[in-house]
Amino acid sequence: MLSDIATITNLASYAGAGVCIGLGAIGAALGEGYTAGLANQAISQKRERSGDIIKNMLVGQAIAETAAIFALVVAVLLLFVKMPSDSLLKAAALFGAGICMGFGAIGSGVGSGFPGGEACMGIARQPVMSGRLTTNMLIGSAVCQTPAIFSMVVGLMLMFMDFSKMPLYPTWAALIGAGVSTGLAAIGSGYGGGKAAGASCEGIARQPESLAQVTTTMLVGQAVSQTPAIFGLLVSFILMFKSFPESAALNSSMALLGAGICMGFGGVGPGIGNGLTAESAVKWVARNLKATGELTRTMLVGQAVSQSTAIYAMVISLVLIFVV
Amino acid sequence: MEDLTNIPQFTLELFGINLVFNTHTLIMTWIVMLSLILFGFLATRKISFIPNPFQVVAELFVQVFYDLTKDALDEKMVKKYFPLICSLFMFLLLSNWLGILPKLSEPTKDLNTTLGLGVMGFFIAHHAGIKKKGFKVYAKGYFEPIFFMAPLNIIGELAKVVSISFRLYGNILGGAIIILVVSHLIYSLILPPFLICFFSLFIGTIQAFVFTMLTLVYISVQVK
Repeated sequence: MLSDIATITNLASYAGAGVCIGLGAIGAALGEGYTAGLANQAISQKRERSGDIIKNMLVGQAIAETAAIFALVVAVLLLFVKMPSDSLLKAAALFGAGICMGFGAIGSGVGSGFPGGEACMGIARQPVMSGRLTTNMLIGSAVCQTPAIFSMVVGLMLMFMDFSKMPLYPTWAALIGAGVSTGLAAIGSGYGGGKAAGASCEGIARQPESLAQVTTTMLVGQAVSQTPAIFGLLVSFILMFKSFPESAALNSSMALLGAGICMGFGGVGPGIGNGLTAESAVKWVARNLKATGELTRTMLVGQAVSQSTAIYAMVISLVLIFVV
Repeated sequence: MEDLTNIPQFTLELFGINLVFNTHTLIMTWIVMLSLILFGFLATRKISFIPNPFQVVAELFVQVFYDLTKDALDEKMVKKYFPLICSLFMFLLLSNWLGILPKLSEPTKDLNTTLGLGVMGFFIAHHAGIKKKGFKVYAKGYFEPIFFMAPLNIIGELAKVVSISFRLYGNILGGAIIILVVSHLIYSLILPPFLICFFSLFIGTIQAFVFTMLTLVYISVQVK
């Protein structure tokens, strides 16, 4: 039954679609729940601004849902687009695409809930700034989506690129590894970036004149928190585009799969850690505007040190790809 | 869907070495550069107290980026590095927006462009660091906290180039791929303009700013 290539390709695309939207639904729901919770608290503090707060909450939730919508698009494509079934590699690629987008949507979904909630609280605290707060929230949560965008890029490339000329062993492992690498590495970065964006909304509400510096520090902090996801993207690109010599031995396949898993898990912690650093830096820029330069530099140096674990993971995955 | 992997190239053989040019990227980069030169010419041709529209936009850029550079560097270094920072932002902004016009595409969609700019920023930052602190103090920074951390510190510095260039490239390429796939699925009805607004105009502006600020902050970390 299973010997038929078309059946296996279908099986992989259905399983991939299930994994994709199943995992992808986790993050956005958590993020939106957080936003709604803080919106309730904000309304109880300032009942007369409930219209503004509800409007802001809905906009924030809509942005937080983007990651889940990306996952939905990939799942629908996996279910309904007819894939060429001339090689078993397509099956591996489709399953890899599902894993990649599914995991990749978790972090960004949770993360972009933070700025939404903090912006609602900010409107209750400083009603005059509601327009500026919504703009800052939009910028912060759009940057939070970057890791999810990376996962979607890798997912779509896995689905639509033609791998049929490659040898089946060990390329199947490289394709699944490519999906795991970006997918897992995106979790930490999305969550971390959201923390920084939340702190910036809170900071602007506390001290409105700090708007420009807070937004700039937030963007730099978020950008550096995304570095682990970018390492994941790099490893995925190498795994997808490098052509590996055919070998029936299992160890070369496992090395490539291991490279993806290594970079994926290695990126989770540094992403969250960098986000926490950025959160504190943004928070204190808002309270002590004069120290912006020192705070930004300290944040960057601290993030570089906490990123070294992601660099260890990247070094090991490159060794697994090129040396072993 | 074939557009995804199709890159028009031109190969020149010179003394046995194959020089490969990505023609499309080069043309787009030249379009951006020529438009910026034209903009600079129009903005500075007749500088007056009552400014013409181009002068207003130019003054806005200069004011904002002069303040940002002043926050990050000393008074003396601002004069030296501000032109770089401001023109880098204007170049990236126009590059990221170019895709909204039909038949044109973003030069930043090609990894070579962003990697080139990233390497440029790396050399400028390290040159500034060596000049300010002297080579001995600069080199000593790599052996901290302990001497055997040196290889990892060097990899960490190189990883900055990778991260800054892949961030811009991934975002712009990602936007382009998503617009392409979604437009293909829904036969280009209704949605594409909104997607272009979000990915090209909004994300493009933010990423241009992020790239510029990171280049500035990398210089600032090296000189302090």
